[in-house]
Amino acid sequence: MNGRGALVLKVVYPLLALLLVIVVWHLAVAYYEIPRYVLPAPHDVALHIADDWPALMKGFGVTFIEFLLGFILGAGAGFVFAVLMDAAQPVRGILYPILIVSQAIPIVAIAAALTIWLGFGLAPKLVIVALVVFFPVVVNVLDGLASVDADLLKLVRAMGASKLQVFRHVKLPATYSPLFSALKLSATFSVTGAVIAEWTASTSGGIGAYLLQANSRLNTSGTFAAIAFLAALGVVAFLLVVLTERLLTPWRTSSTARRWSRAYWRD
Amino acid sequence: MTTAPAKLALTGVSHRFGETVALAPTDLTIAPGEFVSVVGPSGCGKSTMFNIIAGVLTPTGGRVSVDGRDVTGRAGEVGYMLQKDLLLPWRTVLENIVLGATLKGGASRKEREEGVALARRYGLGDFVNHYPAALSGGMRQRVALMRTLAMHRDVLLLDEPFGALDSQTRFAMQQWLLSVWERERRTIVFVTHDIDESVFLSDRVVVMSPRPGRIRRILEVPIPRPRPVSCLTTPEFAAIKREILDIIYEAPPTIEGVPQETGA
Repeated sequence: MNGRGALVLKVVYPLLALLLVIVVWHLAVAYYEIPRYVLPAPHDVALHIADDWPALMKGFGVTFIEFLLGFILGAGAGFVFAVLMDAAQPVRGILYPILIVSQAIPIVAIAAALTIWLGFGLAPKLVIVALVVFFPVVVNVLDGLASVDADLLKLVRAMGASKLQVFRHVKLPATYSPLFSALKLSATFSVTGAVIAEWTASTSGGIGAYLLQANSRLNTSGTFAAIAFLAALGVVAFLLVVLTERLLTPWRTSSTARRWSRAYWRD
Repeated sequence: MTTAPAKLALTGVSHRFGETVALAPTDLTIAPGEFVSVVGPSGCGKSTMFNIIAGVLTPTGGRVSVDGRDVTGRAGEVGYMLQKDLLLPWRTVLENIVLGATLKGGASRKEREEGVALARRYGLGDFVNHYPAALSGGMRQRVALMRTLAMHRDVLLLDEPFGALDSQTRFAMQQWLLSVWERERRTIVFVTHDIDESVFLSDRVVVMSPRPGRIRRILEVPIPRPRPVSCLTTPEFAAIKREILDIIYEAPPTIEGVPQETGA
């Protein structure tokens, strides 16, 4: 595909789709004369966003931090869990039930308990976001570790590699692709997790808390402004993961090493 | 068979998995710079012998030595290559070539330069910065062989390295392998199913047979080198191929123990 074709596909079409939704929304509100407290028109929402920009941006920042830290925490913990489980059968036996239980309990139920244990601040939000990411990461990384070709392991052993070297050069890189599949899947779910955490208890003023307040006052424009910001947050989260993936796994998208990377050979 | 001191020697090497004898006591001596092929039907102990020489399997009896040193059960003493290229997709061609050095603590500038020189010498100079996914099957196998060469082992152990390639590419790779071997003067043990391949490439062909896995016979290939493509159709070639086939199919071929019709 040429550069211009890719640009159209990746930027122009999605923008057209967004525009289409806004136009249909506008026409529907005008045609059916829907009252503003039920469904505000797009320009009402835009006006609200303009009016309350600082509060919304602050909320965006708070929720983004909750997402980012929780996401890294959950992905890191999931990765360590998976590596330990892959390394030793007894560890796997002990950790597996914990893993399943962590998924079986509804997040909303944990959220209430976490507020009691960890208070109203950042900590319970991080834990909830982390819980959302944790399970997919463990499962996918375990898969990646298990899918390493037995002949490849035999080959590197025959080349005289130690266990640590095998892990570093063979097993670890093999987890990247499945790891990022899990991260992409859970990026947008994590934002939902952060919102649920804010609904349970929040004094910090994230977008979730903003939404709850606007909703309780029948401020529908405010609700929709918050929804728009949450959608944007979800997209940012997803794009961040995709960008990180591109940086860390260049072999999946490119046929040669990047010129500035250490792997690139110059005479 | 040979008067030169042995590069690689198996002395009474045997292996059993539980009750099953995978390899009956086996002796084999290979001279420096010799090209030896191992052929035989599946279950003849080729893979077991291969793994024992590679050092990834410790035999239940006997010893393996390289240059007179006992290397039984020791990995990393011989270069090693399989039918699957097993290139690491996240490493460039060059990084794959120097994998042996990387696994021993890191490839130095000098080792990387050697890797590049190797790639240039054997026609992959323009691809050192490519990832394996961008290469054809034949190119990938060449990189796999360079990775083996870059380990600086005198003995190379190749297990059906061209088995997965189409016949055109396979033939080109055989000729390429001979040119590499003539230039690098390494000792090669080449496991294959393909009798033509074994005769075309080797100084000697080791014919193995199953139940229990053992060496049946070792044949010299008297065809002079360098061997042109035309040697494939000479009477000597046909004669030695015939001899190998006779040994392998002495008993009528069987499928899961059921004797076959021998009409043809």
